[in-house]
Amino acid sequence: MWLPLLGLLIGISLGLLSDLQIPSVYSNYLSIAVLAALDTLFGGIRAHLQQVYDDKIFISGFFFNIILAASLAFLGVHLGVDLYLAAVFAFGVRLFQNIAIIRRILLTKWSERAEEKKRGEIEESQDVEKL
Amino acid sequence: MNSQNKRKSKKNSVRQIWFSVVFLVLGFIFAFSYKTLGINNQQDNYQPLAYLREEQYREELLRLQERNKELYEELDEKMREVMDIEHSFMHEEDRHTKLIEEAEQLRLLLGLVPAHGEGVKVTLKDADYDPLTQNPNDYIVHESHVLRVVNELKIAGAEGIAINGQRLTSNSSIKCTGPVITVDGKTFPEPFVIEAVGSQEVLQSSLQLRGGVLDSLEQDHIVVLVEEKEVILPALREG
Repeated sequence: MWLPLLGLLIGISLGLLSDLQIPSVYSNYLSIAVLAALDTLFGGIRAHLQQVYDDKIFISGFFFNIILAASLAFLGVHLGVDLYLAAVFAFGVRLFQNIAIIRRILLTKWSERAEEKKRGEIEESQDVEKL
Repeated sequence: MNSQNKRKSKKNSVRQIWFSVVFLVLGFIFAFSYKTLGINNQQDNYQPLAYLREEQYREELLRLQERNKELYEELDEKMREVMDIEHSFMHEEDRHTKLIEEAEQLRLLLGLVPAHGEGVKVTLKDADYDPLTQNPNDYIVHESHVLRVVNELKIAGAEGIAINGQRLTSNSSIKCTGPVITVDGKTFPEPFVIEAVGSQEVLQSSLQLRGGVLDSLEQDHIVVLVEEKEVILPALREG
């Protein structure tokens, strides 16, 4: 449990402390990588809530999506076509869909729990009446 | 039961390691993106680019100006050579003398060669006035005044004319641009010094004709100074 958190902290500190400078031309790649990472993260959460979560799919998806998006952007730069827009679009749409599904699942769970609670209360009150 | 547990815990630790790698990459990407593309750094990335470009253009301009100057100097030299050759012709053949003199005259008129000799120097200055109580338009030198003097001098047979050191040619322009005047694309402020090479007597008297240029300038409250002196005019230079 602590290991992933430690990894996150190390990653953040590495990112903030590193003196790496990239030319502004390559900022597209970075933004796409951010989007891909976010997309995979939310996809993982959704899969977990839908009980179809798989480690292999999540981890391979995480890295593969980042690499795919970056290579797509690279290809786009060299072809003169803004292919990175395709990646931004696809990831953006999927991000929104994933978040919507997560929201719905959470909502149904919450309302189910509320109903159960209510039913329980009613049964209790009925019990009391019986007494 | 025991071996199953072991396998499970082993699988769990592998999973944890993978997760830490994923989160490490995630954290790095986010932090790095924030650092390099975030709001704080946006301006720094673009400013130097614009500066660089400006610097580049400036350098190019300087280089071109330098080259221009060099070429003009070369042209000057070539012109002198041509003149020397012509002079040698003059010594050789007497009948060409007239033509060469004419060519020289025309060249003086075109302003291609420096001119020197006796001539007059006319200085036009704004009159002293109080801009609060008087209309300044009535007291400053306008381009029309300069034009009038120049025309008069030309009619009187001036061989070469220059305004504040800018040589006039047959297709020069004198334009009014606010408080200054523009001669062939160069602006000059008051006072305007008009120098002309030619017969001092003729030039002087043509300016001082009764009801002529000097009289009308005086009426416009302009301070006019006419001197007779040896005048040296530079050759025409552009750029």
